[in-house]
Amino acid sequence: MSAVGPGTGDRAWGDAQSVLEPLGPEAELIADLTWVLFIGGGIIFLATMLLLAVAIRGGDGPRRILGSRRFILWAGVAFPVVVLSALLVGTLRVSAALDNRPMGAEPLKIEVIGRQFWWEVRYPGTLPSGGIVTANEIHIPVGREVELRVSAGDVYHSLWIPTLHGKIDMVPGRTNTLRLRAARPGVVRGQCTEFCGAQHALMAFYVVAETPDGYERWLERHRLPAAEPVDEFLATGRKVFAAAGCGGCHAVRGTEWDARIGPDLTHVGSRLSLAAGTLDNHRGTLGGWIAGVQDLKPGANMPSYNAVLDGRELRAVSAWLESLR
Amino acid sequence: MRATAFATVIALAGCDEAVPDHLRIPGGNARLGARIVAERDCGVCHVIPGLRGARGRVGPSLAGFGARGYVAGVLPNNPDNLLWWLQDPPAVAPGTAMPDLGLRQEEARHVAAFLYGLR
Amino acid sequence: MTPPADPLSPDAPLPNPLPRPEGEVEKLKEIWKTPFGWRFPTVVNNNWIGVLYVGTALLFFVLAGILALVMRLQLAVPGNAILDHETYNQFFTTHGTIMMFLFAVPAMEAMGVYLLPAMLAARDLPFPRLSAYAYWAYLIGGLFFFGSLFFGLAPNTGWYMYPPLTSKPYSPGINADFWLLGIGFIEISAIAGAIEIIVGILRNRAPGMTLARMPLFCWAMLVFAAMIVFAFPAIIWATILLELERAFDWPFFLPDRGGDPLLWQHLFWFFGHPEVYIIFLPAAGMVSMIIPTMARTPLVGYGLVAMALVATGFLSFGLWVHHMYTTGIPQLSLSFFSSASFAVTVPTGVQVFAWLATLAVGRRVTLNVPTLYMLGFLFIFVLGGLTGVMVAVVPFDWQAHDTYFIVAHLHYVLIGGMVFPLLGALYYWAPTAGRKLSDRLGRWSFWLLFGGINLTFFPMHLSGLRGMPRRVYTYPSGMGLEWPNLISSIGAFVAAVGVACVVVDLLRNFRMETGGGGGGNPWSAGTLEWLPNDTYAARSIPRVHGREPLWENPRLTEEVEQGRHFLPGTVTGRRETIVTSPVAAVPQYVQVIPGPSWAHVVAAAGTAGLFTMLTIQLVWLALAFGALAVLATLWWLWTGTDYGPLRDDAEIGGGLRVPVYLAGPDSTAWWAMIVLLLVDGTVFACLLFTHGFLWLVNPEGWPPPGTPLPHAVWPLFSAMGYTGSAVLLWLADRALGHGRAGVILPAVLLALPLLLLGFGADLWGYWSAGLRPTTHSFASSVYANLFWQGLHAAIVFVMALYLAARRLAGMVDPVRRVTFDCVRLFWLYAATQGLAGLVLTHLVPHALR
Repeated sequence: MSAVGPGTGDRAWGDAQSVLEPLGPEAELIADLTWVLFIGGGIIFLATMLLLAVAIRGGDGPRRILGSRRFILWAGVAFPVVVLSALLVGTLRVSAALDNRPMGAEPLKIEVIGRQFWWEVRYPGTLPSGGIVTANEIHIPVGREVELRVSAGDVYHSLWIPTLHGKIDMVPGRTNTLRLRAARPGVVRGQCTEFCGAQHALMAFYVVAETPDGYERWLERHRLPAAEPVDEFLATGRKVFAAAGCGGCHAVRGTEWDARIGPDLTHVGSRLSLAAGTLDNHRGTLGGWIAGVQDLKPGANMPSYNAVLDGRELRAVSAWLESLR
Repeated sequence: MRATAFATVIALAGCDEAVPDHLRIPGGNARLGARIVAERDCGVCHVIPGLRGARGRVGPSLAGFGARGYVAGVLPNNPDNLLWWLQDPPAVAPGTAMPDLGLRQEEARHVAAFLYGLR
Repeated sequence: MTPPADPLSPDAPLPNPLPRPEGEVEKLKEIWKTPFGWRFPTVVNNNWIGVLYVGTALLFFVLAGILALVMRLQLAVPGNAILDHETYNQFFTTHGTIMMFLFAVPAMEAMGVYLLPAMLAARDLPFPRLSAYAYWAYLIGGLFFFGSLFFGLAPNTGWYMYPPLTSKPYSPGINADFWLLGIGFIEISAIAGAIEIIVGILRNRAPGMTLARMPLFCWAMLVFAAMIVFAFPAIIWATILLELERAFDWPFFLPDRGGDPLLWQHLFWFFGHPEVYIIFLPAAGMVSMIIPTMARTPLVGYGLVAMALVATGFLSFGLWVHHMYTTGIPQLSLSFFSSASFAVTVPTGVQVFAWLATLAVGRRVTLNVPTLYMLGFLFIFVLGGLTGVMVAVVPFDWQAHDTYFIVAHLHYVLIGGMVFPLLGALYYWAPTAGRKLSDRLGRWSFWLLFGGINLTFFPMHLSGLRGMPRRVYTYPSGMGLEWPNLISSIGAFVAAVGVACVVVDLLRNFRMETGGGGGGNPWSAGTLEWLPNDTYAARSIPRVHGREPLWENPRLTEEVEQGRHFLPGTVTGRRETIVTSPVAAVPQYVQVIPGPSWAHVVAAAGTAGLFTMLTIQLVWLALAFGALAVLATLWWLWTGTDYGPLRDDAEIGGGLRVPVYLAGPDSTAWWAMIVLLLVDGTVFACLLFTHGFLWLVNPEGWPPPGTPLPHAVWPLFSAMGYTGSAVLLWLADRALGHGRAGVILPAVLLALPLLLLGFGADLWGYWSAGLRPTTHSFASSVYANLFWQGLHAAIVFVMALYLAARRLAGMVDPVRRVTFDCVRLFWLYAATQGLAGLVLTHLVPHALR
C-alpha cells in the first residue's frame, strides 16, 4: 500500500495507475497513440538537433543548404504542415473511435460524485428504493460497456483512471460522461486530478474489474442491508456509533441513519481502502482513522473523535464497522 | 512491497547491536518485525522512527521503546509482557484503544525484536 | 533653386555640421542628470527604471525558485513531511503566480523599458513617469504579495484560481484576496507598460528606421504589448467578477444561482494561453538579436520571422480551450482548438529554422556565454515544443492533462523559451550598461542550469505518465514514482547552483556606468543600442538606412558621438525626444517629456496601499490611500503632461524644422489614449461575453421568470443622459476647433451631470424595481455592467474637474488642447459604452424572450 498514509504494508494487488499499462481498450488506443507521438517526436527532436549541430559545426556544403530562406520554408512551414495534417487526421480517427464505438448491450450506468476529498459511487436502479451507494471504489464487470456519469458535490474534481481511459472533469452544476471498458479482471487505482483543496493529494479510489459472475455476487451482497451485530461487543460498537452522532453524516442502510454528507457505510468493511485510497481497511486503521482524522488527513470534513470516544468505545465501533461487510 | 523493503532498510540502520541483552527476543527477527509493523499499518496510530509515513498520534510514539518503563502504562517493560500485550492488548488493559490485531506468537516475537531495536 | 534633398536619404549630408556649439553636451548631461541620494526614487529615466525593473523581476525569480526547491525537497521521497499540506498548497500557488505574473511578464517588460529606447535611438520612451509608476506599483505590490506567505495568508488554490474552490464558501479566508491583490498590480503595470511600449515603438523610432528596418526585438515587443492589450482585459474582468462574488456574494460562478464555474475558465484561459506567448515572444525577439550578432550576419528570413511573430500573436487567441479538453466540451469544438494548437507550431517552426539558417550562413560561432544560452534555449525549447504538440492531441491530453507530464512540458517551454533567452540576454546586453559579466561564472551557470533543468524536468514526463497528478503535496510509494522524483529533486538543486552563479556574477560584475558611455560594443553588434550610451541615450539621434546601421556604416558611432546626426542637443532646455511617423519614421515633432518627480511615486504607493488595505479589510485606510493615489496622479499629470508649445518650432538637423508641441491624432498622447480605450473596449467585450455565456447556460430563461425589471422610462432617461453628454462634448470640440475656448467650461459643467444622470437613472431603475445582485446570475451580470459603467462615470467625474481646473488655470486653449482631447476621447467612449450597456441589459433580454 501507499506510504502516503501512515500505513506502509503491501497489498495483494498492485497500485496500477500508469497510462502505459492499459487495462481496457480505450486506454489501449490512447497508449498506442502515446507511443506514436513519442517516437515521432523523438525523431523530429533528434533531427532538429542534428541540423543545429550541422549549422554550427558542419562542413561548408551542408551549411550552405541550411542557410537559405528556402530551407526555412521547407523545414519550418512545409514539413510541419504535412506532419501535423497527418497527425490531425490520425487524432480525429482515434477520437472518433473513442467516441462512437459500437455499443453492445445497454451500458452499465454508474454515477460518481466528487466531494472534498472522497468519491461517492452510486449504482442507480439496483434497488427498489433507488440504488446501492458506496464510496471510493468502483466495481465493474469485465467486458461490459460502463458509462460513468460524473458530477461534483462541491468544487471541481477530475476523475482519472489512467489504465482505463483519460480523465474527465467533475464540474459543479454539470454532468459529464465517460465510457470505458475493462478487458481483464484487475484492481487499478484512480485519483483526483483537478486541485480541489487541502487534501487533493489524498483523494484516490480503486476500480475493481471483476468477471461478470464476480460482479453479480458483489452486487448481490451490496443489495443487502447492513449486517446485524453478532455479539455483545459489536452491539456496543453500534451503540457507540449512535451515541457519537456518526449518523448525522453517514448512512448505514437498514438502520435509521441515512445522511449523505459523508460516505455510505453500509458495507464499509468490505472496501479495499479507507479515507479515499489513503489507508488499508481493517479494525486497526478504522480506529486510528476515527480517532485521528485530522492528523491523518487534515482538512477533511470529519473531525477527530479521540476527545469523544474512550479506548474501549473506539475499539468497539471500529470492530462493528469492520463487520459491515 | 518495494515500499516496505525500502522502509525496512532505513529502520534497521545501526539497530541490532544496540539492543541490551535483557531485551533480546529469542527467535525474534527485527527485519521481519519491521515488515509486519508496516503491513499492519501500526503507523496509523504511532510515530515509528525510520518508518516513513508512520506519524500517527492516536497512540504513543514508539521511539526509544526499549527504554520505556512500562508497557501500556500497566506492565513492566520486559520481553514476556510485551509479547503478551502485542497479542491481545485489551486483555492486558481493558480500557485501551489498541485493538487485538491478531498477531501470532512468532509474529509478535519479530515485532517485539523490532520495537526493542528502535532508538 | 533645386528643392532641398530629402534629409533622410543616404546621399544627403549629415544632418548637423561640425564643430558643435560649446557646451551642447554639457547641457544635455545636465538636463538628463540622474537624481541620486534620497531623491533617487524620483528617477524616471528608462535606463535606471529598466535596470531596477529587471533586478526586481530576478529577485522574484529567485524567491519563487526557492519555494520550488522546498517543494522538491518535500517530493524527493514519497510520504515526506517537510511541508504540511497547507504550506505546500500555498507554496505551489505562490510559485506559479510569482513566476507567471511577478517574474516572466515584468521581466520582459523590463527588458523592453531598458532596451527599446537605445535600440530605437530615442532619448527615452514617451511616458517615462508611467513606466516608473508601473515599476513602483509592481515592486510594492509584489513584496506585499510575497509577504503573505510569512503569515500563512498566501493563496492556496492554484495560480489559475478556479471558482467555486476560490469562492467564499470554500475559501473563506483572505488568501484568495491576496492573489487578486497581486494580480491587480500586475494588471495595472502590464497595461501601463504595454501603452508605453506600443506608442514608443511606433512613434519614437530613429528617423529613417521604417517598420521594415526595425530590429526584431522591437517587432516582438510590439506584438507582446498588443497581446497584453487584448489578453489582459479578460483577466481584469475575471478578477473583478471573482472579487465581486467574494465580497458581495454576486453569484457569477455558483451554479445554484444561475452562475457557471466554466465562465471563469473561459475568461481565464482567454488570457492565460496568450500569456504563454506574451512571455515567449520577447524572448524570441532577443534570440533574433543575439544569434545574428554571434554569427556576424543579418538574420536569414527577417520578413518571415516578423510575420511569424505577428501570426503567433493572432493564433494564440484561438487556443484557449486547449486548457479545457477535459471539461466535457463537445468533440467538434475540441477538434477545432486542436488544429489551432497545431497551427501555432508553424510560426514557431519558422523562427527556429530561421535561427538555424542564420547560424549556418554566418561565421562559425564561438561558444561564448550568450551563444551557449542560445543553443541551450534551442535544445530545451524544441523539446518542450514537441511535447506541446503532443498535449494538443486531444485523446493524449485526456491522459496527460493535470499530471506531471504537463509540469514537465510547461517548464521546458517556459524555461527554455524564456529563462534561457533572458539569461543569455543579460550576458549579451550587460555591456550596454557598464561592462561584461564574467565569462567563467557564465559558463558554470550555463552548464549547471542546462544539466539541472533537464535532470529536473525530463523525469517528470515519466512520473506524469505513471500516474502522478499535479499539485499534490505527497504521493504513494509503489507506483514507480520514487526514482523519477528523487532525480527531479537532485536536478532542481543543480539548477539552483546555476542560478546562484548568475546572481553572484551580477552582484560582482554588473555596473551602471552612466555618463561613462557604456562598455563599448564587445560583440561587434550591428544595432543602435550599441552606440555609446548615456541617460539621454545617444548623443545625436542617428539617421537610419538599414537593419544593422553599425554594420552598414562603420563610422556611425563616431558621427553620432560628434553630434552630427539629429537633435544633438536640446531645443527647449528640457528632456525631449523626436516623435516620428509610425511607418516611415519621418520626424514629426519634438516631444517634451517629464523628468524626475515624487508625484508618480506617491501615486504608486497610494495604489499599493489601496489594494493592500482592501485585502486586509481596512476599508477606511484603503479609501484614504485611494484618495492619495488619485490626488498624486492629478499632481503628476498637472506637472508632467501637456506642456504646451514652449516655442514655435525647432530645427533638429538637415534643415528639418518641426514643432515642439502637437495636439490631435498625431500626438503620442492621443495614441496612448486610443490604446487605453482598446483595453477598455476589450474589457467591455468580456462583459458582453459574460452575459452571453450565462444566457446560454440558463435555458430556463434570461432573465429567469419572475425577475423584477425596471420600467422602460429609466433606461430611456439614461440613454438621453449619455447621448446628451456626448453631443455636448462633440459640440465643444467643434467650437474649440474654431478657436472658441470659452465653450469648454460650460460644456463640461453641463455634460458631466448629464453623464452622471445617465448612469444614475439606469442604476435607480433596477434598484427601485427590486432587482438585487445576489439573487441570480442575471441580476449580478446586470449589476456588473452597472459597476463597470459607474467606474467610468467616476473617472469622467475626476477628469472633468481636472479639465475644468486646467482651463481655469489658462492651460487649455485651441492650440494647447491635448488634455481636452484625451478627456474628450475617454468621455465619448464612456458614453458610448453606457449606451451599449443599456442595449445589453434592457433590449437584448427582451429580444431573446
